[in-house]
Amino acid sequence: MAAIAGITYLSDTRVEVDVDVVERLNRELRRLNDEGVTEVVMRNPRSRHNLAVGQGAGLKIVFDGSCGYYCGGLNNGAVIEVARNVGWGTGEAMASGSISVGGSAALGTGAGMRGGLIHVKGDCGPRTGAAMKGGTLIVEGSVGYLAGFMTHAGDLIVLGNAGEALGDSLWEGRIYVAGEIRGLGNDANVVEPDDDDSARVHALLRAQGIDGEFPFKKIVAGQKLWYFDNRNPEAWLKI
Amino acid sequence: MTGKGQEPEIVQGRSHIWRAEIIRDIQAKAELGRYQIRGFSTFQKFPSLDELVFLPAAMTRLPLEGYRELCVSETTIGGGRPDLVSQPLELAIPVYLTSMSFGALGTNAKMALGMGFSRAGSATCTGEGGMLEEERDASTRLIYQMTPSRYGLDLEHLRKADAIEIVVGQGAKPGTGGMLLGMKVSEKVAGMRTLPVGVDQRSAVRHPDFLGADDLQVKIMELREATDYRTPIILKLPACRVREDVKIAAKTGCDAIVVDGTEGSTAAAPEFQLDHTGIPTLAAIPAARRALEEIGMYGKVTLIVSGGIRNGVDAAKALALGADCVAIGTAALVALGCNAPRFVEDYHALGTEPGACHHCHTGRCPVGITTQDPELEARLDPEEGAERVRNFLTAMVMEMTVIAKSCGKGNVHNLEPEDLRAVSLEASALTGVPLAGVDWAVGPETFGRGG
Repeated sequence: MAAIAGITYLSDTRVEVDVDVVERLNRELRRLNDEGVTEVVMRNPRSRHNLAVGQGAGLKIVFDGSCGYYCGGLNNGAVIEVARNVGWGTGEAMASGSISVGGSAALGTGAGMRGGLIHVKGDCGPRTGAAMKGGTLIVEGSVGYLAGFMTHAGDLIVLGNAGEALGDSLWEGRIYVAGEIRGLGNDANVVEPDDDDSARVHALLRAQGIDGEFPFKKIVAGQKLWYFDNRNPEAWLKI
Repeated sequence: MTGKGQEPEIVQGRSHIWRAEIIRDIQAKAELGRYQIRGFSTFQKFPSLDELVFLPAAMTRLPLEGYRELCVSETTIGGGRPDLVSQPLELAIPVYLTSMSFGALGTNAKMALGMGFSRAGSATCTGEGGMLEEERDASTRLIYQMTPSRYGLDLEHLRKADAIEIVVGQGAKPGTGGMLLGMKVSEKVAGMRTLPVGVDQRSAVRHPDFLGADDLQVKIMELREATDYRTPIILKLPACRVREDVKIAAKTGCDAIVVDGTEGSTAAAPEFQLDHTGIPTLAAIPAARRALEEIGMYGKVTLIVSGGIRNGVDAAKALALGADCVAIGTAALVALGCNAPRFVEDYHALGTEPGACHHCHTGRCPVGITTQDPELEARLDPEEGAERVRNFLTAMVMEMTVIAKSCGKGNVHNLEPEDLRAVSLEASALTGVPLAGVDWAVGPETFGRGG
């Protein structure tokens, strides 16, 4: 294969990519995946945006620093590890695969994700897990306001605290918070998880190497925003 | 609760304030305890494109042979940035189908529209409910819409799309998200949106992972990265502060901007929003054009206009004012059979008549278009519907090209404000098009001669 500046083959299946040098980097990653490369070490990410976007299964992508917005966005099976922090929209609309963040994440982490796993070892910003459609989002630290906003499905698990308006307008997503909840959003209710639920959540944590027993509160929809008050279909004909 | 016709009618009294419909509206709200919701578009009368007329060629210029000579109608969306878009959306005509979701429309309607627009060489748009397989198969050119709720957002669907439309808002209900009442949230619709079956779905209005234009700029690049810089990215705006909004939209780096006037339709919206929010399409087009001109982006970012475009003449006027393309919704549905005098007893059951039905929100569409009920849907034959849609589009483009040729233009995109005159003070003031006869425009800015 022709040498490409910024891409160094460590073996047939393992390469090193200099983010500073390689252009159209996501296309290159897809090409490397097609070529049979299974692991890419990304040097000098320097908090650049849109890194490891739209990647597929069979590729592990390891960043040795911080990434900017939409890291791992639209992920479709890749295993992504970020040593330090990430910006907005990490793992947005992810369908499968995993993203592990060693530091903290910002607004909209896992927004609209449909499957897979995001694991943030630090804190997350506002709107974490907003519009989630599935998958698991684990935050070892705390989450900002409007976390779990309109979450359709999936698990948002927070070991730290949650900000204001938690679980606002929730659909059928499940939110678990071990720490303090500053405030609930519209139609969000706190319930005690039953034993099966608690066992399931702790099993998800153990799979990520997080041991211990956490006193989770579960947040579910009150379902008052699911329907207009008047369910009589004829009522819609008044106009 | 009964439909219209089973209650004594409120008569129109002498008051212009407390008109019969106002009294009926208050009575309904007093009974329901909520605002009124309905489909279709505004019932207000706004200054419209009808208040502009064309000035065909006479002595000052030469017309083309309207019934013979060729007139170009091909249209490119997103052709201004070849470095960022390798496959701009190429249409045979400057008209495509605006965003209408699967959910708002049934499967047969989606298929019929897809086939009809494809046969006319044009495109359809998925709307917010995700990409319906049947629509992808039917539409040779499909625009994939990404809304704040991100229903069914899928990387593979983005890659299968011929363009991507990011919704900021819509003309029918600016500043709010979509709405789909429980009667239409069927198992299939709910499955595509990850919703409980039968809920009254009210969508988010703010995107979950960006807030402003600077963030959106990065988001657009994310979509380009995910789709390998292939498809154009369109931003859909409701017509509000158009002059400012369009400039900011252009700054995000999108390839095309849809400006959706207040006449834009919907399958369900609060009526007060339909009637009292946003600005008319007539006013929005010149504002959008001027905005792009002021930042040197006119002709580089494709300007698409929607909201109340009913025929080829409306479309030609929109192009003359500055649009590169129009998108239609209701006109296409009417071509498909909306409000047709079939199954009249079912219109009556809804308390309405063919020609006056705006009950898309109920999911009980008598002609099987805006419904998820299999029995009602079966009333629409996709093949027959597709032919009606194709015929309508053909007629629409004939109207546009004849107008253009009468104005001496061999390309519909060469129509310009100079080809227009206003026949009302309002239209002149809103557009800057000079008044007919006096060639003098009302207001601070003038298109063409006069001033």
